[in-house]
Amino acid sequence: MSEIKEHLEKLNHELKRGTLTIAVLSQLKEPQYGYSLVTSLEEKDFPVEANTLYPLLRRLEKQGLLESKWDTNETRPRKYYLLSKTGEKVFEQLVIEWKKMVMSMGNLLNNGEGEENGTSR
Amino acid sequence: MELVDRYIHAVTQKLPSKAREEIGKELRGLIDDMLEERAQGDQITDQHIEDVLLELGDPRELALKYRDDKKYFIGPTLFDPFVIVLKVTLISVFVIMGTGFIIKMILYPPEILDAFIHFILDIVTVVPMAVGWIVLSFALVEILIPDGIKKKQVDRGDRWHPADLPEIPHPKGRIKKGEVIAGIICYMILIALCSSKFLGIWLFEDGHFKAVIPFFNPNFYGYQLIFILLIFGVGIIKEALKLVFGKWTIKLVIITAVVNVLSIIGLLIFISLPDIWNPEFMKALVENGLLIEGSETYVTVNNFWNGITLFLTILFPIALIWDIVDGLIRVQRSKY
Repeated sequence: MSEIKEHLEKLNHELKRGTLTIAVLSQLKEPQYGYSLVTSLEEKDFPVEANTLYPLLRRLEKQGLLESKWDTNETRPRKYYLLSKTGEKVFEQLVIEWKKMVMSMGNLLNNGEGEENGTSR
Repeated sequence: MELVDRYIHAVTQKLPSKAREEIGKELRGLIDDMLEERAQGDQITDQHIEDVLLELGDPRELALKYRDDKKYFIGPTLFDPFVIVLKVTLISVFVIMGTGFIIKMILYPPEILDAFIHFILDIVTVVPMAVGWIVLSFALVEILIPDGIKKKQVDRGDRWHPADLPEIPHPKGRIKKGEVIAGIICYMILIALCSSKFLGIWLFEDGHFKAVIPFFNPNFYGYQLIFILLIFGVGIIKEALKLVFGKWTIKLVIITAVVNVLSIIGLLIFISLPDIWNPEFMKALVENGLLIEGSETYVTVNNFWNGITLFLTILFPIALIWDIVDGLIRVQRSKY
């Protein structure tokens, strides 16, 4: 049983890693700082650990998908991230791809429902 | 709060200095936010700090996540050739030094301890030197070449077509790694032996080694090294090329041919220089009582000795031309 759990954990982790970028991009039409993103994603049932999110934000910024600005007016300085022009376009396309994928995955999984283990794969 | 400073330092010290300050600032903001949320308006306690830092996890892992670029001293593309070169060199060093040690042992049996100490000392100095140079050379290649290789791979990736797939080498055209490595090691041993002072006729007295009558002119010590490198060094280059190609192709044959022709030209120029051979050779043989002047053996040896230049001038090109022909035959054979 623990073997199955191990596999599940690993695959689940990969699945989440693949979807993390699109989830993050989806939340950055309005500027947000790292920790506000952690909490808002958690509220929306997509928990992400801060130690994964912060490096990711930085990488996306480096790639040019995000822009950032330091806000020093508040009690503590915070780095706000926002979709860049490129980021917006990429995100738009990504959403289309994602919807296609959800559809085809749905088809695959529904077709398999007749079989015993079709959905638990 | 001291723990927080230490944590941030632990993460950022492993990051490139440009990013260090900003990531540190951002992390501090994050930790403050997390602490505030935990304390919910109350005083922040050490327990809170510990919890937050535990949630963020091992600073080394966090630093790793920040630096996604994999940096190599010697990258995956160069690693295999690096290991081969390292192996060949180390084996050669040990074999050559071992051979030297054994020769000394035979020649000067009473000084065996001394020879052994020298053997160990040489290994201790030569091995790190050899390894160091190899690592350094490969690291330089890694720094200088990668962009070009990556670019090439991308270019190829765009236009790749199944027709580009290389044919599976025919068994007869395949070059076996083990043979090539053995070949290189043999050449290295030959170079070491031939360039040593012991290349010549060994003289013994009462069963003890006395002296050597060298084949080469002792007054032109550097010359013989060029000679040896021309013959055997070229061999090493060719073996290394075989290793790179992995199979017999027309290209390999052409490169081999060019290398061979160059070494033939070099050898001819070299042989035309006077006095590479020991002019006192025949005299020394007579003086040491190995030959009697005027005897039949003397004439034979003398003829051979005088003809050696001509002999080599003929033999060497023949060998190298055969080498090219052999390559062509293998290419031809592996086509069917």
